[in-house]
Amino acid sequence: MVWTRRDMMLGGLALIGAEAAGKPAFAAASSYFAGQAVDNGVTYRATNFAAIDKKWHRQVVKYFSSEPIGTVVVDTRHHFLYLIMENKTAIRYGVGVGRGGFKWYGRATIDQKSLWPRWTPPADMRKRHPELPKFVERGSPKNPLGPRAMYLLRDGVDTGYRFHGTLEPGSIGRDASSGCIRMFNEDAIDLYQRCPIGTAVQVLPHIADQAPQVSDATPVE
Amino acid sequence: MSAPTGYARLLFSMAALLTLTACTTTDIASVEEPAAVPMTGQTNDPAPGFESVLPGSKEDFILNVGRRTYFNEDSASLDSVARATLDKQAAWLVSNPRWLVKLQGFSDDSGSASSMVKLSQKRADAAMAYLASKGVASSRMWAKGYGNDREVRDCTDRSCKVQNRRVVTNLRTERDAP
Repeated sequence: MVWTRRDMMLGGLALIGAEAAGKPAFAAASSYFAGQAVDNGVTYRATNFAAIDKKWHRQVVKYFSSEPIGTVVVDTRHHFLYLIMENKTAIRYGVGVGRGGFKWYGRATIDQKSLWPRWTPPADMRKRHPELPKFVERGSPKNPLGPRAMYLLRDGVDTGYRFHGTLEPGSIGRDASSGCIRMFNEDAIDLYQRCPIGTAVQVLPHIADQAPQVSDATPVE
Repeated sequence: MSAPTGYARLLFSMAALLTLTACTTTDIASVEEPAAVPMTGQTNDPAPGFESVLPGSKEDFILNVGRRTYFNEDSASLDSVARATLDKQAAWLVSNPRWLVKLQGFSDDSGSASSMVKLSQKRADAAMAYLASKGVASSRMWAKGYGNDREVRDCTDRSCKVQNRRVVTNLRTERDAP
């Protein structure tokens, strides 16, 4: 993929990217990896899916909501990302989403994609985590964005949010990020292949089919 | 841009999304497959055939490889992402020689209906030639362009069009009836 000037500009913007490693929340991290994999010349640690709840594995499920084929829908509450396919089915991926105060909802399109992206932690994030580097160069297996990033724009304006991989497979299925949607690295690679530039994205509190019962819905003030 | 935090803003975006999702999906792409039985059950149930996925099955191909290759507007050339998809397909097809392969091309581009049929045929031919160059026997494959007949619709113009500029690698057990 050609690295255009526009990519550089996007890459240089304050990315509200993955909160980097360096906190003990997912301390048993080593068991989440099994061996190594090579992707586009970069060697990285492969996810040990045997140690991951099957719920978070990529799978093809029934999907009865009405989004058009090819749309990506994120159910934030249930930590699932769906890529809508034909015949009321979808590929479902487990994801990590924004923790309290970092959640966001809305529509966007995937307008830019990057292989082994570079990463510039936003200033706010570096304030919270001074141990973070100022900059991670492209092609680094230590990049918290992992092997792929898909940049979410709305009407041509960068939302600051991305779909990307992770250094912390244990954070999939949790509210862990600063707003980005993180995936297993293998899944980020997979989704990247399946989403052409222009793909529609909807980030929802939850999909319609998974709406809470009326009794536990938040009352409208 | 910071994450929306206000409750009012949240409600507003939820309302906007409800409006967006109110339209229905026309499963035009389902024409690519034999007619599916009407789906019952619930969202998140395993899709039919995907309860347990066997290596070498059609389901394995859909879940772990992916059938679709995408193209840029008015182009039948394979970019790096398209080649990566086809590389993965070729490796799988070489290790699973029992499958025949129908490459179905589609288009949603500029020009007349007949030029779109031509373009979709060129796309399907390009995907087939690439798979052949990666070791998939040509005798197992055939290609057909459908123009813009089988469109994904009901999304915004741009998001629909990118879905329609595709080749679907369809696994078959026998050739099309003449």
